Amino acid sequence: MLQRINEGLHDMCHIWAEEMKNVVRDEGVLIFFVLVPLLYPILYSWIYNNEVVREVPVAVVDNSHSSMSRMFIREFDASPDTRVAYHCNSLDEAKDLVGRQAVHGVIYFPQDFQTRINRMEQSHVSVYCDMSLMLTYKAIFQTASSVAANINSKIQTSLSGNTTGREDEITIKPLDFDEIPMFNTTGGYGNFILPGVLMLIIQQTLLLGIGLSAGTAREKNKYKELIPVSRHYNGIFRIVLGKSICYFMIYSVIAAYVTLVIPRMFGFVSLVHAPDLVTFMLPYLLSCIFFGMMLSCLVRYRENVILLVVFSSILFLFLSGMSWPSSNIPGTWKAVSWLFPSTFGIQGFVSMNTAGARLGDISLQYICLWIQTVVFFIMTCAVYKFQIDRVKKLRSREQ
Amino acid sequence: MNAAEYIKRTMNVAARECGILRSNMIYLFCMVVFPVVIIFFFTSLMNEGQPEDMPVGVVDMDNTATTRSMTRKLDAFQNTRITRHFNDIAEARAAMQRNEIYAFLYFPAGTTDKLLSMRQPKISIYYSNTSLTAGALLGKDLKIIATLGSAGVGSAQMSAKGYTEKQITAFLQPIAIDLHTIQNPWISYNIYLSTMLIPGCIMLFIFLITVYSIGTELKFGRSKEWLAAAGDNIYVAVAGKMLPQFIVFITIMLAYIWYVFGILDFPHPGGTWTMMLLGLLAVVSAQGFGIFMFGLMPSLRMSMSTCSLWAVISFSLSGAAYPVFSMSPAIEALAQLFPLRHYYMVYQICVFNGFPLPYAWFNIAAMVGFACLPVFIMRNLKRAMLKFVYIP
Repeated sequence: MLQRINEGLHDMCHIWAEEMKNVVRDEGVLIFFVLVPLLYPILYSWIYNNEVVREVPVAVVDNSHSSMSRMFIREFDASPDTRVAYHCNSLDEAKDLVGRQAVHGVIYFPQDFQTRINRMEQSHVSVYCDMSLMLTYKAIFQTASSVAANINSKIQTSLSGNTTGREDEITIKPLDFDEIPMFNTTGGYGNFILPGVLMLIIQQTLLLGIGLSAGTAREKNKYKELIPVSRHYNGIFRIVLGKSICYFMIYSVIAAYVTLVIPRMFGFVSLVHAPDLVTFMLPYLLSCIFFGMMLSCLVRYRENVILLVVFSSILFLFLSGMSWPSSNIPGTWKAVSWLFPSTFGIQGFVSMNTAGARLGDISLQYICLWIQTVVFFIMTCAVYKFQIDRVKKLRSREQ
Repeated sequence: MNAAEYIKRTMNVAARECGILRSNMIYLFCMVVFPVVIIFFFTSLMNEGQPEDMPVGVVDMDNTATTRSMTRKLDAFQNTRITRHFNDIAEARAAMQRNEIYAFLYFPAGTTDKLLSMRQPKISIYYSNTSLTAGALLGKDLKIIATLGSAGVGSAQMSAKGYTEKQITAFLQPIAIDLHTIQNPWISYNIYLSTMLIPGCIMLFIFLITVYSIGTELKFGRSKEWLAAAGDNIYVAVAGKMLPQFIVFITIMLAYIWYVFGILDFPHPGGTWTMMLLGLLAVVSAQGFGIFMFGLMPSLRMSMSTCSLWAVISFSLSGAAYPVFSMSPAIEALAQLFPLRHYYMVYQICVFNGFPLPYAWFNIAAMVGFACLPVFIMRNLKRAMLKFVYIP
């Protein structure tokens, strides 16, 4: 018994070393294990580096030509989010500019804009937004609303005939409110999407690398099987543990780089508590590794992995509840999302990184990751046992 | 050789290709099954258009009829649903960190008191920007509630003084914004995102399958046989190989167009023909780009990795979510190298906003250019097929 365990440990270390050698020798695996996690985060962070949308060009059609419309236009232009790029004589001219992508919206003042205000009637400003981009629509509409609110308060003040400044404040806003965006206070797009993308990169590159390595092993093997014909590869646990330790070793470094170095390099919000992060990353990495090893049995040719894994990236990103809130994901898709480590990994990491949550706050995700680790480990062992049995049968048939 | 000969050879290669497509299961999955799954996935995920009934909390230290009425109004909004009342801000913040709520409203003690005695109470709205979609929508709703509360006070007061509805409206909101959200009046995220994501995924498959199908000829040592079937003419060989794939992909594209614009009735004032032309351009430009990539780097693994990199980065660089004009100028220039960017521009200008095709002439020309790219590497490709060896 003891001797078998001793032999198992030796074999496990042998397999560990073999796998490391395979990883280093195989250019494809090296690219996915090292190059992609190194460069992708930098590329993505560079793309979203500007974080917010500023100075959206807008066209103005001012049929009113009054001092109030000019004040509105000035204040609208002064806003950091928008910029008055063109003054047009008609809506058709402005529409043409939208078609040429010169502007992303139109502000239209009717002829009786100031006249109605002077007559103490409600006046309207029309805001036409090009809905091909939500961020420009938001910028234009929010700016128009706040400029209107600002001018409204000026008009109310002048009409109220109050005595003191304090009275004016109360007339304009009987109920005052404070608006506090929490966690990602800048509302930056990079801050929002990068934490999820970083965790997804870890899972996807692991899947790709493990799958590619398994594909290579299968192609190089005499019987086109996953496991080489060697006396070292006789037990399930030594194979599974040996390989997974190798991948874990590489990825503990990669994960540290991706989760800690990249946010700091690009100035993203990083409220993560290091001990909590390490404790959380352990089951995440393990479940990704075992998930990858379990799926690697499906891979017959090396390059099939790339076909299968790449498109799933965008699926996993949406299933994790980053872009579309997880409370609104339909039941079926939510159930499907529970099968993948990235769902819980992304949810947990985003909470820790952007919202400053501690491990206790994400206990649900943590427990689910451990459950996934155990389940995938068992399934990986089953897959490899099946493979060992097949190799034994093929060898005995040959003999 | 006359035209009939060329056509016969092309058909030969195409028939051979059909055999290959049938024999390897991966083609069935990547060309048909996965694109269909993607089409249904995105459209069903964002089926609501805008996320409805997002969980919101309330910290009500005041607990009067006024605050309860404001809470009820907030609950009545389409986007929000009050899930819990918290005892203090710390509890609510912890719930937000656990992702149980996306926003909360805070009424400090004495709010109604101060309101009735005109001492300007201050309430607070907190919303989480970890998910920009949820944060932006809920922030807007909470702001509306706060503003309505303010307006309600003014309105009640003026009504008591005998002002008419029109006068009250004119005083409380002298300038009103008439918002026209052109073509997407529901502000539906489904219309906004699905029309970029699904074609992006289809183009991803086209890139990868094109490169894979050419590369596996080299991998399995069938490249010489392939060229021989085409009479040693690389143009005939590539055309014949791409023809069955083109037919499958254009069918998938048309299925997408029929489902999304026909059945789900997404806005397309540009017309169905424009959309179908765009679909055709998307397929040929993706195929052309794939062939070009492989011709540039005749190693299966290298070209597949590059194509997958290109395809995944396309989603960000298409500029549908975060606009390209807001990115740094170097990235703006880089974005022009991605077919999906041009697809999105043509879709947005000609199909979604209904402007005539010449408004997007540059992007259409770019897509045609991508389709013609293989011309540059044909000789290299022929040499690779005849001389190169598969390197794993």
